[in-house]
Amino acid sequence: MFRRSLAVFSALAVAAFTFAGCAQPTPEETTTPEGPNTEQIVIDTTFDIATIDPGREYEPTGQIVVKALYDTLLSFADDDTTKVVPDLAGYVANDDLTEYTFSLVGERLFSDGTPLTADDVVFSLNRMIGMKGNPSFLLDGVTIEKVDDQTIKMTTEEPSPALPAVLATPSAGILNSKVVKENGGTTDETDGAEKYLNANSAGSGPYVLESLDVASSAVLVKNEKYNGPQDPTYDKVILRNVEPATQKMNVERGDAQIAMGLSGDQVAALDKTVNVASTPSATVVFLFLNQNPEINEWTAKPECVAAVKKALDYDSLLELAGLGASQATGVIPSGFLGALPKEEALKFDLAAGTKGAEDCGMAGQTIKLGFPNDIDPAGTSLTTVAQRVQQQLATAGIVVELAPAPFATEIDAYRDGKAHMGLWYWNPDYMDPANYLAFGPGQKVGLRAGWTAEMNAPIGEKVAAGYTTGDLDARKTLFEEWGRAMNAESPFIPLIQPGSNVAHQASVTNVYYNPTWLINVAGLGAA
Amino acid sequence: MSQDSEQPRAIEEPPSPTRGRRSYTGLLRYLGRRLVLTVVLLIGITLVTFTLTNLVPGDPVAAAVGQSAADDPAIVERFRKEFGLDKPLYAQYFGYLGRLIHGDLGTSWQTRNPVVEDLGKAIPATMEIALSAITMALILGLVLGSVAAHRRGLISDQVIRLISLLGISVPTFWTAILFFSIFYYRLGIAPGSGRLSPGASAPPRVTGMYTIDSLIAGDMRTFVDAAAHLVLPTGVLTLFTVGLLTRFSRMALLEVLDKDFVRAAHAKGLPTRSIFFKYVLRAAAVPILTMVGLAFGSLLSGTVLVESIFAWPGLGSYAYKAASQLDLLAVMGVGLFVGVVYLTINLLIDIAYGFIDPRVKVGS
Repeated sequence: MFRRSLAVFSALAVAAFTFAGCAQPTPEETTTPEGPNTEQIVIDTTFDIATIDPGREYEPTGQIVVKALYDTLLSFADDDTTKVVPDLAGYVANDDLTEYTFSLVGERLFSDGTPLTADDVVFSLNRMIGMKGNPSFLLDGVTIEKVDDQTIKMTTEEPSPALPAVLATPSAGILNSKVVKENGGTTDETDGAEKYLNANSAGSGPYVLESLDVASSAVLVKNEKYNGPQDPTYDKVILRNVEPATQKMNVERGDAQIAMGLSGDQVAALDKTVNVASTPSATVVFLFLNQNPEINEWTAKPECVAAVKKALDYDSLLELAGLGASQATGVIPSGFLGALPKEEALKFDLAAGTKGAEDCGMAGQTIKLGFPNDIDPAGTSLTTVAQRVQQQLATAGIVVELAPAPFATEIDAYRDGKAHMGLWYWNPDYMDPANYLAFGPGQKVGLRAGWTAEMNAPIGEKVAAGYTTGDLDARKTLFEEWGRAMNAESPFIPLIQPGSNVAHQASVTNVYYNPTWLINVAGLGAA
Repeated sequence: MSQDSEQPRAIEEPPSPTRGRRSYTGLLRYLGRRLVLTVVLLIGITLVTFTLTNLVPGDPVAAAVGQSAADDPAIVERFRKEFGLDKPLYAQYFGYLGRLIHGDLGTSWQTRNPVVEDLGKAIPATMEIALSAITMALILGLVLGSVAAHRRGLISDQVIRLISLLGISVPTFWTAILFFSIFYYRLGIAPGSGRLSPGASAPPRVTGMYTIDSLIAGDMRTFVDAAAHLVLPTGVLTLFTVGLLTRFSRMALLEVLDKDFVRAAHAKGLPTRSIFFKYVLRAAAVPILTMVGLAFGSLLSGTVLVESIFAWPGLGSYAYKAASQLDLLAVMGVGLFVGVVYLTINLLIDIAYGFIDPRVKVGS
């Protein structure tokens, strides 16, 4: 009977795998002898999609999809995020950057064949503001009005040099207002078009939506009516929700052509047949020490902050981030106007750090380090970074007690400014250095570190100027000066600018990482 | 015996002309009592889930809208209003119960879909691998458990016990990675992640289980594709469950094999096969069935890591994401479903006892 049981078990296993093996298409079946297969491309990533309604979506995976379905007034060329370029429109601005006039370029068509007009632009952007969805804060204080069918005017209460970069984000995508209105769309909180837009697209982008399941996949097919400047290669784009460990095997086997969520370690271990497009991300991983003495009297002392800055071995921390990572030279990462050069980054000096900690009284004190332990920004594990920070500061006599928590829990302590010391990350909302002014005293992120406006008025003045200065050269100088002052006097310690690694098969070309929309699927090519 | 169910009572009752009708009435009365108890337990589940989720330190709004948007009061206010978080906790809870009566589990803020709709997609996906795994595990577990019991102490018994111990002890996520790595990545004899090959369309929805729906639609190509994708996740879950059922079957059968009536049957010269199938297996069926029910419940609610590795959009993945984002209504929806599953399985098992074991009678 035992032998029979074994036989049954073996027969079942063999049958199952024979069946599975016969049923699956091999990678070879997806190529054609005539040339590259452009029928479809499979992109594996880790989903965080909640919606693909442009006026509401604000998650990285959502940006990939929305970028493919909807055009924006302005855009960026490939991975160059330092300069906006026209997409649907070109623009001129007045001298104090409070009034922008956009002129639509040519006659672009929506996927139903109707022309895109100024009415669609005004409706789409007012809808984004009025619905008060996640990205609505991007256009706070902006008034949008139609001048004529081809012209739109936007006015802002304060000078707004960052507005063009904001309008290049996929959330500012332009919808077919007629279709959206027919499906419950309005420009206020009563809008009811989200469900429709999660099942159908209503844009002028190079692709249209075939299907979306926020748990598993998004399928896009070419927009036959597209008449914009891009020339999409693939007829169908399939984005799949796959965990990083599985992504690696899928892209190596050829079942997926692109894997977007690999950590530095996984990228390093990739099969040599897989290419990697590696660029610095726009993410900054940083440490902060709370300046509120009621939270912790030691972290609040500027001398102690200076000691911690010296006690950290930045090169050693960088080892944890993998391919493409670099030391963050300031809170503004490389690739942005005003980013500091490498030589101006904070430097490790253990002796000075140890002495500083001793002098300010921090040595021997226990400092709690809070951080989210379920988030790996750009593939960098905050848990391992925190552990190494703990080791390094211990060498300088500072006792760090790790206090991790899931993001949903830890963000409360962070936003309320209750953490002694925090290890966090910042992803830009739009590609303009003004986005990083939030780290200033009295600003959003500054206050999370208990750093109020009156604690450093000179840096505060630079922040105010940073929000309103329009001249390019003056901005560059201003942001550089601000960055130096932040490195010297702020409670923030920029640690790592992780790399963004997109693993792809050699058959896929033109793979560019863009921090705003991660990857432009319409720009991908085939070899 | 099932853990949280009312115990059916074993009653030795002399046969009587009215026995059949009385049993039927008793069964109905028993079912009525169980139904009331089920409703009470489900309300308890909602209360516990709601309380625990609200006790977790953290702001669901910040978790849902992101760092920047969470600092905009207008966005936060709109979000709270949209999902009813602007109301006092008691009002949120009773509002939930009120909607629950109409089958409305609210809207998930991680997917923006009604929770009922999300569960309607996730449950069949998990059910498909759970049903395959429990069927395989039951067949193999019974066969291996029987062999081990019959050959107690012999080498084959030792080998089976070792295999079953390994099945239980090895974490399923590790087995999942191992299976995926060997059979898909190295050998290429199994398909990759997901429920279907990239680009393949799901069959028209009837049950939500792709293998069954494709058969109903007469679409053999999709059936073969869906079934092939089932092999690896089913294999992983089967390995774990078969270890459990083998050990339990062996234990239950050994207990029965030592009984006097089995010895008597042997002494009467009845064929071994008849003794096993007619007497031993039937007597051991009650505890085995209980374990099958519990194992099935566990498969439905505890497959998160396997689903994650095979990119299987099932209940485990949904529950994990909901919990990590403090998606209260989704968490409560999953909690309710798992509660219903366990209560239903226990009820079915308790009723089945009456048919399997003549000594057991429900009701009276």
